[in-house]
Amino acid sequence: MTPTRGVGAKEGLVPPTVGVVGAGGIARPHLQSWQAMGYRILIHSVDGRAAEVAQDYGAEACDSLDELLAACDIVDVCAPTFAHHEIVLAAAAAGRDVVCEKPLALDHAAAASMIRACAQAGVQLYPGQVVRYFPAYAAARAAVLAGRIGQPAVLRLLRRGAAPVQPWFADPSLSGGIMIDQMIHDFDFARWVAGEVESVYAKLLGGNGSPLFGLAVLTHTGGALTHLVGGWGRADETFRTSFSLAGSDGLIQYSTTDRPTLTFAGPGARDTGGALLPDVSFGISPYGSELAEFAAAFAGGPTPRVSAQDSLAALDIALAASLSARTGRPVSPSEVTS
Amino acid sequence: MSGATTRRIGDGRALKVGLLSFAHVHAAGYAGLLQARPDIDLLVADPEAGGAPSGELRGSAMADGLGVDLVDSYDELFDWGPDAVVVCAETSRHRPLVEWAAAAGVHVLCEKPLATSLVDARAMIEACTAGGVQLMTAYPVRFHPGFRALRDQVRSGALGKVFAATGTNNGQAPIASRRWFVDAELAGGGSLMDHTVHLADLLDDLLGSPAQSVYAQVNNIVHGDEVDVETGGLVVVTYQDGTVATIDCSWSAPRSYPAWGGLTLAVEAEHASCSFDAFADRFDVFDDRAGRLSWTDFGPDLDSLMLEEFLSCVRTGRAVQPDGEVGYRTLEIVRAAYHSAATNAPVTLG
Repeated sequence: MTPTRGVGAKEGLVPPTVGVVGAGGIARPHLQSWQAMGYRILIHSVDGRAAEVAQDYGAEACDSLDELLAACDIVDVCAPTFAHHEIVLAAAAAGRDVVCEKPLALDHAAAASMIRACAQAGVQLYPGQVVRYFPAYAAARAAVLAGRIGQPAVLRLLRRGAAPVQPWFADPSLSGGIMIDQMIHDFDFARWVAGEVESVYAKLLGGNGSPLFGLAVLTHTGGALTHLVGGWGRADETFRTSFSLAGSDGLIQYSTTDRPTLTFAGPGARDTGGALLPDVSFGISPYGSELAEFAAAFAGGPTPRVSAQDSLAALDIALAASLSARTGRPVSPSEVTS
Repeated sequence: MSGATTRRIGDGRALKVGLLSFAHVHAAGYAGLLQARPDIDLLVADPEAGGAPSGELRGSAMADGLGVDLVDSYDELFDWGPDAVVVCAETSRHRPLVEWAAAAGVHVLCEKPLATSLVDARAMIEACTAGGVQLMTAYPVRFHPGFRALRDQVRSGALGKVFAATGTNNGQAPIASRRWFVDAELAGGGSLMDHTVHLADLLDDLLGSPAQSVYAQVNNIVHGDEVDVETGGLVVVTYQDGTVATIDCSWSAPRSYPAWGGLTLAVEAEHASCSFDAFADRFDVFDDRAGRLSWTDFGPDLDSLMLEEFLSCVRTGRAVQPDGEVGYRTLEIVRAAYHSAATNAPVTLG
């Protein structure tokens, strides 16, 4: 069958239709969220997995991107990073509102042109900076805004897990590497909490079959400093993150491994820790919160907590970190925007 | 001076140890530990106590509280004929005291950092060499059994190549008890001077590789309304073997923190991720009278382990570690960090 766009979807007469592009790891929590919100879901991917994944979420597979674009109200781009630019431009040209996974693109110019194309087409574009929707991170930022730590002074952010198994992640020309693909989450969070960044000094260590680590020091315009660690480790490594936010009047500390809500031990236990992605199999799904906020904005609701411009700023920090790691000198994010 | 009695243990004479100044926050701890040892005679001089801000416990008030013998001047203390001294003066005042001890043939345990300038640190090392006395830098954390186990694992090669290390030495700013810690002249700076060197020492011991370049950023947000020196700082050290280590030296523990602070070191190696917490041996105490959470520490007494090694080296003539050269190398990292922070560029050492 050829799916058709739900006429009057935005008026709520029929369930709106979302077209998910890509059927890899990150597509699944998105699909689950759209399904939970009652959306009609189309899915298209070029890796041949769309039909199989569609079955798990009550979705309909589309043979082509054009077919998907013609029949949906919202496009949700979950394809690998190197494919984002082309898909988002096509979605904008088709007049569809867009959700695009992070990083928006591999370089500043591509991401900026995606933002421009969506603006010119009069469609909304929101990025999958999902860390802003993890309850601990959202609550920490709210606490900082409420003055609980005074003025942010020194932030420490850590994010590590098993290295992604899909080969394209390991190729910096396709994924951007760990700083652009993974550490961008904490670059965004650092900027969200402590403001614009004026200088980045970073190191890339390990790799070539060994665990890969990114270290970065950010100097924020307001004077705060942020220390970041990103790790793509051994296959058996459990995903974990932590943050420590020290300010003039207080300190907030959190680690995902400090106080697990639920643990299993013994021969019948399964590892619920997750490897590449955090375990969100129970409780509030941050992907669900994120997509619900975007969906509300598409329907004319409030502006989401994160904009495409925020994601571009985080990408600029990540690009500056990568350049610093290559050159051995501190780099301003403004250097990577040309 | 009041009578310092000489106790004799076995066939060995008690060692005469002088404590030079109560200025450092660790001085009271050393005094208590030394006083409790039957093989040590302790004598203290704190002649510059009068220059300390009012309200700080120094001089005879402190000596009385600790039950230790005090003399009025360093002259009197050196006239007593100590075998060794522990230098706890303000950092910029270390050099003349160490040179004095060296000239008198007295072994030295000197608080960290060794000096505020590399010139002073080198002069102290040379004076001790010329005087034929040992110079130990007071880095107690490397005596932690947990760190020793980590170091043994790294050195055995079992972990493979070490790629990266991230250390934190965060604490409350030592403003209330010892104001000179935030005096740029006496302390040589703020948190960067105070809290970089312990981790730099552990990394020196762990990696056995010289530092090659240093990048640092500092700020003055925590206690920014009270002090001029930096209170926040991040240091990135690249070693000649390619390992990169970061040191967070910030005085970022708020007044309501459950303890003075802490020290941690995570090591990422080819075959293992390791983490060391020097003050992990503690429990939570919810104390209604204190009105907040506090931690009770039941871990190894690092100062005691360090003193034991120093005194043993003095008795046997075995070479001390960490010595003055480690003190110098770690100060080199700090000085480079200040230069880097001022120029916003990495600084090459050597």
